[in-house]
Amino acid sequence: MMGDLIAWLFSFFILLAVLALVLYQIMCFLDLETDYINPYELATKINNIMLPEFITQGSLCLLHLVTRHWIMFLFCLPYLCYNVNQYIHRRHVVYATEVFSELSRQKRQRIFKLVYLGFLLFFSIFWMIWSIVDEE
Amino acid sequence: MGTENPNRANTSQGLSANPFAPPRNNMPISSNPVVQSEAPAFRPTSVPASLSTVPSTSSTTPFSFPGPTVGTGAPGFRPMPPGRPPPSYGPPTTTPIPPFQSSNIGQPMVPPGQHPPMSTSLNRQHQIPPVQMGSPPQSFYSGSSNSNPPMSFQDSAYSASRPNMHQPAPLTGPPYPGPLRPPPPPPQVSYKGGYVPPQPTISTPFSSHQGSYNQAPPAATSSGPYVGNSAPPTGGMPSLVEDFSSLSLGSAPGSFDSGLDTKLLPRPLDGDVEPSSFAGMHPMNCDSRYLRLTTSAIPNSQSLVSRWQLPLGAVVCPLAETPDGEEVPIVNFATTGIVRCRRCRTYVNPYVTFTDGGRKWRCNICAMLNDVQNDYFASLDATGRRVDLGQRPELTKGSVEFVAPAEYMVRPPMPPLYFFLIDVSISAVKSGMLEVMAQTIKSCLDRLPGSPRTQIGFITFDSTIHFYNMKSSLTQPQMMVVSDLDDIFVPLPDDLLVNLSESRAVVEAFLDSLPSMFQDNVNVESAFGPALKAAYMVMSQLGGKLLIFQSTLPSLGVGRLRLRGDDLRVYGTDKEHALRIPEDPFYKQMAADFTKFQVAVNIYAFSDKYTDIASLGTLAKYTGGQVYYYASFHSVIHKDKLRHELARDLTRETAWEAVMRIRCGKGVRFTSYHGNFMLRSTDLIALPAVDCDKAYAMQFALEETLLTTQIVYFQVALLYTASCGERRIRVHTAAASVVPDLGEMYRQADTGAIVSLLARLAIEKSLSYKLEETRSAIQLRIVKSLKEYRKLYAVQHRVGSRMIYPETLKYLPLYGLSLTKSTALRGGYADSQLDERCAAGFTMMALPVKKMLKLLYPSLLRVDEYLMKTPTVSVADEFSKVCKRLPLVAESLDSRGIYIFDDGLRFVVWFGRMISPDLARNLVDEDSSTDFSRVSLTERDNEISRKLMGILRTLREADASYYQLCHLVRQGEQPREGFFLLINLIEDQVGGMNGYADWLLQIHRQVQQ
Repeated sequence: MMGDLIAWLFSFFILLAVLALVLYQIMCFLDLETDYINPYELATKINNIMLPEFITQGSLCLLHLVTRHWIMFLFCLPYLCYNVNQYIHRRHVVYATEVFSELSRQKRQRIFKLVYLGFLLFFSIFWMIWSIVDEE
Repeated sequence: MGTENPNRANTSQGLSANPFAPPRNNMPISSNPVVQSEAPAFRPTSVPASLSTVPSTSSTTPFSFPGPTVGTGAPGFRPMPPGRPPPSYGPPTTTPIPPFQSSNIGQPMVPPGQHPPMSTSLNRQHQIPPVQMGSPPQSFYSGSSNSNPPMSFQDSAYSASRPNMHQPAPLTGPPYPGPLRPPPPPPQVSYKGGYVPPQPTISTPFSSHQGSYNQAPPAATSSGPYVGNSAPPTGGMPSLVEDFSSLSLGSAPGSFDSGLDTKLLPRPLDGDVEPSSFAGMHPMNCDSRYLRLTTSAIPNSQSLVSRWQLPLGAVVCPLAETPDGEEVPIVNFATTGIVRCRRCRTYVNPYVTFTDGGRKWRCNICAMLNDVQNDYFASLDATGRRVDLGQRPELTKGSVEFVAPAEYMVRPPMPPLYFFLIDVSISAVKSGMLEVMAQTIKSCLDRLPGSPRTQIGFITFDSTIHFYNMKSSLTQPQMMVVSDLDDIFVPLPDDLLVNLSESRAVVEAFLDSLPSMFQDNVNVESAFGPALKAAYMVMSQLGGKLLIFQSTLPSLGVGRLRLRGDDLRVYGTDKEHALRIPEDPFYKQMAADFTKFQVAVNIYAFSDKYTDIASLGTLAKYTGGQVYYYASFHSVIHKDKLRHELARDLTRETAWEAVMRIRCGKGVRFTSYHGNFMLRSTDLIALPAVDCDKAYAMQFALEETLLTTQIVYFQVALLYTASCGERRIRVHTAAASVVPDLGEMYRQADTGAIVSLLARLAIEKSLSYKLEETRSAIQLRIVKSLKEYRKLYAVQHRVGSRMIYPETLKYLPLYGLSLTKSTALRGGYADSQLDERCAAGFTMMALPVKKMLKLLYPSLLRVDEYLMKTPTVSVADEFSKVCKRLPLVAESLDSRGIYIFDDGLRFVVWFGRMISPDLARNLVDEDSSTDFSRVSLTERDNEISRKLMGILRTLREADASYYQLCHLVRQGEQPREGFFLLINLIEDQVGGMNGYADWLLQIHRQVQQ
């Protein structure tokens, strides 16, 4: 049972990492809006961080899969599919040329992600506590 | 390395140095005394100004906002543009001519029966065959005889917003408050127009239809209270107009055929008419050639904005060409530094107010009280004006140019720099492009701006990249070939870009030898992407203008493209829009990099096959450049066009490394920008090079639910390096009144600006949606706005089933129609080549208002009478008097005439079938059986030919931004006639697209729903 708890802890931290990455992206967009960074910097920052986000999220999914946390795995799956879809169509890349016309869409997308991750975090904590309680 | 260094400009530490930094600490200003005190000066004027467009009763009404005025201005007639040439249709010598008699109007005749009942009555119009004489002048159709009852349901929602109770109560019987008005109002008072849609159900046979107009004027109805109301523009019209409006009241259902007289529909035959209100109310505003607002009445609340269904914004052409004597004054604040507001960074302008004996000035945009520096101080006279006002153009003129001191530079001002990237593959050589281009560049070397600082450089490429060392010590340029496309390097980085005046001899030697150097080249490949990267490496030190001459589809290295757009099936699916956006992100990336280093890219594309303009054009789009597309370029035909356009591109006054920002008063914020440029921050437009042929559109929104100020100020500031090496700031300032009612907004609307903005929005939409959806979006927008307008007035005026629209927007439906029929948006796969469509889109995104309107509603002129009769050769004045613009319908074409069709980008000269052989022989060499596609119009040694060429020259001089290539077309010569002319007769129903009348009907029906 100890292994389960460790798995939950792991997934919890990975989830936090994804959350932080998404949060960072939102911050970047806000900075752009308030003129603290220019579109070139933004494009570099965002494009550098998108792939790490996708990979981290993918590994979270994988972790849930191998630890047989089916429900959490199912929760993570749509997010993963969305990411993969974006990646295949190369829609995750932000271009400096048109970042302002896409600004609101990009921000909305990331805020939605954030909310979704918040839910996952809630469930994750719930299962973690559950597994602790279960142990005793 | 840009002057507005992107890295610095946007970091907080760079902000203090950045002259364009936006206001950081906007303190809320509720209402400030100065703006208030200014207000009276403008407010009252607004009323008379609006009166001029409004029927005269309102002058007696006590309301400052002519809500009631509105009511009076509803003559129910179809307004006509004042200068419309009445009798081009000739007298009705033979009135009811049987159809099909001599109908050689290249349009297929369709028997009425084949049309759905709806359109029959309209289509019959087209069949009144002999174009010149067929139609009776009194051709009006009766109105819908059973006028609908007023739509009272709409009233409740809107009555609150207008002073309804003061409304002169609904008059006795007739819904038109004619009797209230003093008799003859000025001609342009037709405040709203209206026309009666035909009743779809009634469809009488043609003959009776004809008959009905002959007996139609039941003069009884035309007399009485309505006489003089409608103030017709031309002498022949009055009875018509009155008859019309009274007929629509007549209660004899079924007695008259209902229909739509296509001849009375509003048409912009006078070209663009700028609204007078913009300058009228605020005389110190900049000229409308620089800045045009879609409406000069700014709505005061969010709810008003949401009811104004049209775009709310501005079209800015910062460097518009000025006529002689109206040049923008240059002001040099040598010692004081440029006077700007401390908080919002607004430049000093005619609307700032000086107080405290001249020691302080109040910013008109943020109301901040600034100190006047000692050097700039001047005392105030008794009226509170500065005593030195006469010597201060920046305080009297809406447009002014400041010489910018060193703090406006991040680096020393760059020299004008022209870099040429030339495709020398076989197709470029074969088409003759190389030769024409080299000759043109050589002939322009003397006229390049900025001598002696001007720099120049060349790269040519096919499957390899060729660099040219042009060092001034050489006598012949040295060519270096780089064939490693994966890892581009620049040999001799210092001598590829040279100072033109120093290396003049080498450059000329190069241009002379260029065509012969590659004349035997059989290489078909094009390493465009690698060559572009090489050019980028060479130019990134300085920036400048990159001119790309591309004849084939890029096929090697990074950025290679593939054939697409061949698939018919893609059209109409969700993937359709992908054809119009760049396929390879490489192009977007390169465009971003180019802008960053102040490089503007102009694309010249020549291929007869697909070259993916959508991808190539992206480079121009985001760098403030331009796309010139010469479909199947052949030097024999297109030589003059390329020569003219390239020469203009090289020699026109250009502003380098520019940034533009538009500021506006508190409560209003610019939200989106449309045109060819890149945004560097939320409101800073980066323009590596900008010139007089480029215009930019922007939309604004209200930030607050209610505007408390009475005037909103706009200030466009363009910071740039002039070719002479001086850093300058061009500032245009304009004021617009804030209004609380929608009617006033309509009254001060500017169709030209609205159409320009709508066109840009539509083209942007076509990049992510289907063409079909784009077109219906345009229609929907027009419908919504007219619906809103109808709600405003339908009730008090019992307009019944007539269509009503504001006088200022009378051409809007027509322009909307022509927008949907423009090359960029029309039809589907077959209707225009993908490349042509994309090129047209890029062009339209940059066009200034007047040129846009000309392109959308081209002029059609009949010239044969002028050629034959007028004795003098002096063309300029006479010509414009004799030849009037004709409506763009096939009926305008008479088979005995010669017509010139001019859309600003090209001419089509149309020869009627029955043109006198003498005339034809004088103009073109061949007899009438030859193929006109091979004949070009050249000046021949006779009077008539000289006159025609004189006309063409005059027309070209009127619009020099493009060279209008002349296409000769003979009547009935298919498919050229259809392709060049008939498809562009936008009022006709061509190829499944609506005609004007049908379009109006459709709109009207939707408005009524």
